[in-house]
Amino acid sequence: MRRYLVLRALQALGVVAFITTLSFMVVHLAPGDPIGSSLQGPNVTEAIRQHWRAEYGLDRPVSEQYVRWVRLVAHGDLGFSFSQRRPVRDVFADAIPRTLLLSGMALLLSFAFGIAVGVLQAEQPNGSRDRWLGRVLLLLYSVPDFWLALMVLLLFSLRLRLFPPGGLHDAVLYDYMTPPQQLLDSLKHLVLPVLTLTVLSSAVVARHQRGELVSVLSSDWMRTALAKGLSWRAAVRRHAFRNALLPTITIFFANIAVFASGSIFVEKVFSWPGMGYVTVTAVAARDYPLVTAGVLFMSVIVVTGALVADLVMAAADPRIRLR
Amino acid sequence: MPRSHCLSLRHVKRLMPFVIVIAVLACKGTDTASNGGPGNFGGTIVIATPSDAATLLPPLMSSITDHEVTDLLYDRLADIGADLNTVGDKGFTPVLAERWEWSADSLSIAFHINPHAKWHDGQPVRANDVKFSVNLIKDPALGSQAQPLITNIDSISVRDSLTAVAYFKKRVPDQFYDLVYQVSILPEHILANTPVAQLKTAEVGRRGIGSGRFRLAKWEAGARLELVADTLNYRGRPKLDRVVFSIAPDFNAAVTRFFAGDADLFENLRAEQVTRLNGDTARRAVRLPSLGYNYLAMNAIDPASPGHPHPVLGERAVRRALAMAVDRRAMLKNVFDTIASVAYGPFPHSMPVASDTTLPQIPYDTTKAKALLDSAGWLAGPDGIRAKNGRRLEFAVTSPSSSSARHKYAVLLQDAFRRVGASVKLDESDFPSYLAKITSHNFDAEMESFNTDPSVSGFKQSWTTAGIGSEGTNHTSYTNPTVDALFDSATTAFDPARKKAYARRAFETIMDDAAGIWLYETPTIAGISKRIHTTPFRADAYFADLANWWIPANERNARDKIGLRPTP
Repeated sequence: MRRYLVLRALQALGVVAFITTLSFMVVHLAPGDPIGSSLQGPNVTEAIRQHWRAEYGLDRPVSEQYVRWVRLVAHGDLGFSFSQRRPVRDVFADAIPRTLLLSGMALLLSFAFGIAVGVLQAEQPNGSRDRWLGRVLLLLYSVPDFWLALMVLLLFSLRLRLFPPGGLHDAVLYDYMTPPQQLLDSLKHLVLPVLTLTVLSSAVVARHQRGELVSVLSSDWMRTALAKGLSWRAAVRRHAFRNALLPTITIFFANIAVFASGSIFVEKVFSWPGMGYVTVTAVAARDYPLVTAGVLFMSVIVVTGALVADLVMAAADPRIRLR
Repeated sequence: MPRSHCLSLRHVKRLMPFVIVIAVLACKGTDTASNGGPGNFGGTIVIATPSDAATLLPPLMSSITDHEVTDLLYDRLADIGADLNTVGDKGFTPVLAERWEWSADSLSIAFHINPHAKWHDGQPVRANDVKFSVNLIKDPALGSQAQPLITNIDSISVRDSLTAVAYFKKRVPDQFYDLVYQVSILPEHILANTPVAQLKTAEVGRRGIGSGRFRLAKWEAGARLELVADTLNYRGRPKLDRVVFSIAPDFNAAVTRFFAGDADLFENLRAEQVTRLNGDTARRAVRLPSLGYNYLAMNAIDPASPGHPHPVLGERAVRRALAMAVDRRAMLKNVFDTIASVAYGPFPHSMPVASDTTLPQIPYDTTKAKALLDSAGWLAGPDGIRAKNGRRLEFAVTSPSSSSARHKYAVLLQDAFRRVGASVKLDESDFPSYLAKITSHNFDAEMESFNTDPSVSGFKQSWTTAGIGSEGTNHTSYTNPTVDALFDSATTAFDPARKKAYARRAFETIMDDAAGIWLYETPTIAGISKRIHTTPFRADAYFADLANWWIPANERNARDKIGLRPTP
């Protein structure tokens, strides 16, 4: 087990190093730079821009900039964001908790909802309920996230005026509310983005859960369980559901990584300043340090998520042996 | 032949909402009839903005949000008048300087600081702060974009704690403007301890301690930035209690906040959004004056062979013919309907020194355009595209993908040019890539959007030979000795009438050379809550007098009624 963990950690380190190096090179080789993007007033001369480039070492060869960046990261310094004019560490300290709050709620709800729908479908495979739910799920599965986010915004915020159009909380009144009012206000601002992410993800989970459950229900040991006199519901709960849940665990941990890196479109539409928003604005501004640090963060989360998924699978299924 | 512009009844019906909106705009631009008198203090304005501020240090500001916030936090020595006069001190109103005196030779001006002026931390504003602010901008280690604009200021001396004397290298008409408009006064006691080169990254740049009528209350990065009234301000407390910049990461999200009632003001509505305000009981549209103009800039130099004229656009006859091929009014109607206006030339007409709308224009006439190209030797080939000496009449139009208006114009221009035998390839890229091409002169033609400042000297940077290269913004490398001389004369003329006459002749020459195709003046239509009562907008900064906007007591909502409780 220890050997396995060391090997996986080394493998993960290699993947992270490769991805961050690649993203560093790609973003540096793309046309434009952070100084051109942030200093664009009518009076800004090229001489001023050159001054800033020289000051931040952006006039040095890319290889030299890369070595300097690696050295900084090795010392725990992620650099300075050009577009936000503050340390990348501070940008992340603001954005990561926001994304974790939004994504965490959406992740839990989407798995709870998706598994429940999958079980409902699998109870009567190919029955009318299964078919109708299947069609709805297929529709939701096919909907682009930005479109659904916009529709949810238009309907529930602009038309029905039930929920605020975006942001973390009320821009003015939040600070002057009592703690229960603040909680309620934050929840109201969470409803629409969480709803959008939940609907999109639960469709995937439900389809997966249904497929696993249906294949498990037709297995020999399930027939044996029923022949021994167990009721259908008890057989499903004790045997089928547990076995069908194993692959879903893998999806759950894989999704943690995806959710933790933020949903670019949902965060953008609902003005939720989390990791997705930070990343997309950093790319648009050619904010090299922020982009590269964002990729570093995401790749670490992804490889860690994959590793945890493997470990959990091994713990849950004795047939799996880690080598 | 030019196309006719007859409008069918269907068209008229379609245009009616715009016509009504514009008529309403004309009547309701500002609330000058009444004023926010005693008892009208209070209220909150929430401004939806698609970008966060990057810095709260005026010499380092780069975005419109930086500009808006720092203008509310910091004061200048004096403020430019509504007519945007930049000659001498006519029209300027005292701000931090309660008065000033010119020396007999006009090479120095003594500014007397208002003795009641205080920084937001309670420290008094002193003449040393003026000296510090100017020296900071002049320091090359800071890399301020204002640095090239104050090179005529030789030095600042401190006569006494409340008198700062500015010395100028030479007597020029804009010397007063150069100092008071480009330099916001900064607190030496806050900033002096940080090495200049570190100010770009130092935390002190985010504190925003100024002497303006609003002070910084809270900055939640990426979410909101809150300013509150400085109640003890030497110029009197502002009428509003609070200004909140509600940051939404993109244009649509910001507009949605405005229409959902979460924001009171959004600065830049599009045509389709303006019509939505027709009949809206809570919101209205307001046309903001602007110093922006948009044109097709044509590169005079061959990007593939710098130092040589552009093989197609370097020829004056070709540029003039292309200008004749463009029906600017029809294009404007197509893209903006009635909310924008055609650009008269390389200037915004709201700028007094350049407000001449009688300059001769190159007329829309495709027949003449074709004849001109024929006579210049550009003859149509079998595919309809013209060629001369084996070189096809082909070029690329570069535009940023972030601007839908410029994208639409590029497509319409492509079609218009094809009609006279020119082939255009559209080269659209994201903004940083677009900017990289423009600043490195690596383009044939580009959709330029330019915001000038009130001084005629700004045109020198864009349209004279001195503006080519790293010290200017003449990206097309347009050069004409007559224009250079005329702008030199315009910038040194003390008589406004003569200044305007020189500028007029310079513009006339640029337009006659068809250095660009003047497409439209940037339409700035703001959506604003009807609760907010405004004062007249200044063309260079609509928010310049925001401290005097007000909300009548009987129109206030929950967020107006917080009062001036300290922000937790």
